[in-house]
Amino acid sequence: MAQFDTELKRLKTKLLEMWDLVEYQLQAGREAMLNADVELAKLVIKRDRKVNQFDIKIDRMCENFFALFTPVAVDLRLVLAVLKINSNLERLGDTAEGIARFVKKMGSPANPELLELTNVVQMYDEALKMLADSRTAFQNNDTALAKAIIKSDKTLNKIYRKSDAIVTKFMAENPDRITEALAILSIIKKLERVGDQVTNIAEEIIFYRDAKVVKHKSDKKKKKKEDED
Amino acid sequence: MSKKNDKLEALDLNAYYGDFHALKGINIVMEEKAVTAFIGPSGCGKSTFLRTFNRMNDYIDGFRVDGQILLDGRDIYQKDVRVDELRKEVGMVFQKPNPFPKSIFENVVYGLKIQGIKKKSVLEEAAEQSLRHAALWEEVKDKLDKSALALSGGQQQRLCIARALAISPSVLLMDEPASALDPISTAKIEELIYDLKNDYTIVIVTHNMQQAGRVSDHTAFFYMGELVEYNKTKTMFTSPKEERTQNYITGRFG
Repeated sequence: MAQFDTELKRLKTKLLEMWDLVEYQLQAGREAMLNADVELAKLVIKRDRKVNQFDIKIDRMCENFFALFTPVAVDLRLVLAVLKINSNLERLGDTAEGIARFVKKMGSPANPELLELTNVVQMYDEALKMLADSRTAFQNNDTALAKAIIKSDKTLNKIYRKSDAIVTKFMAENPDRITEALAILSIIKKLERVGDQVTNIAEEIIFYRDAKVVKHKSDKKKKKKEDED
Repeated sequence: MSKKNDKLEALDLNAYYGDFHALKGINIVMEEKAVTAFIGPSGCGKSTFLRTFNRMNDYIDGFRVDGQILLDGRDIYQKDVRVDELRKEVGMVFQKPNPFPKSIFENVVYGLKIQGIKKKSVLEEAAEQSLRHAALWEEVKDKLDKSALALSGGQQQRLCIARALAISPSVLLMDEPASALDPISTAKIEELIYDLKNDYTIVIVTHNMQQAGRVSDHTAFFYMGELVEYNKTKTMFTSPKEERTQNYITGRFG
């Protein structure tokens, strides 16, 4: 294999390793949330340093690649996509850390009724699936899967939009559980961000493979609708 | 920006060296006052194609073309076209600087003298203007009578460009004009190309992909005598349509 391709492969491999770590962090956050496992939450918080190290390393690898190999066309799009996916993964890592911090704050297991009402677990599972799918899509150059990921973000948004009202009602009925309810609400907000960040990643995969810019597409549609109204 | 006029055009152009089919059914339209780069591996036909625009291939035994090359809409391979007149219109710069073993001044005004222009003031003015246009004037204005061969490679190449400009062509053909030069001279030539396109239509053959990216508005990729893809340079280097183009520009050919 040419040096050029060896270096690109190293870059991809490094990014996939980071993907694994971030996925693991989010999964651990889920376990910690469900079991009120403060020790696990602390581990997640501590391990975010590793995610940050990946971020710096991959940035540096991309910079070197630009400087030494001046990539064009599909190679250029790959390195640009890696840069952006890298920063999205780093922020996903921060989100996992943030969730762990709320778990640490809660201290005791969340009210099963609250979990049920808000659909937070379903939301968490959907977010994790999106992240795992994005990794597969990148690894297999599967833009159809990337497009499906962008669509599935709607499920998260739907749950998110309902959550304010549900949690408010719960807090009114259970004034002694306000702290806990607020923590769950914060986690829901974080999961909504996970959906957005994975969507950004999926858009980068489509840019890399198909040379098409799909981000902000829905903005355009919204704008068109507003203009028509 | 308004659309520019079409300056050069090839219509179903085929070229042959004896039995060898060097250019296969080329169709292309190039805008005036723009830079078009020809890229492709050695032997792909890009230089042959470049040389059809001022009929430089006519001297080669067994060379023939069919199809049309239009300059300002006029077929330059028609019998009534005078090749010397054509070359006043279409200047050329080669890979290796090739100044004549004469003074700097004599090099620049060579074409004008051949045309019969003798008046010193006219020649001097033309020399200064051409040298200024070729971004060489400031470096040589005090030694115009010195031998051109004493100049550096980069200066010699700009002198050759000045010589080509002196006869006021509208098209400038450049066959790898910077491939024998160091990076500083190369940068000067590229800067010059950027300036010259305000006044001239430029076609450049280059093996340096980054150079094509830097200097040209449009890029044409040739492979085995075919024009594989012709597009805006930005498109060619970010999202080429043809797989063969992508393989070539990313260095994964063959």
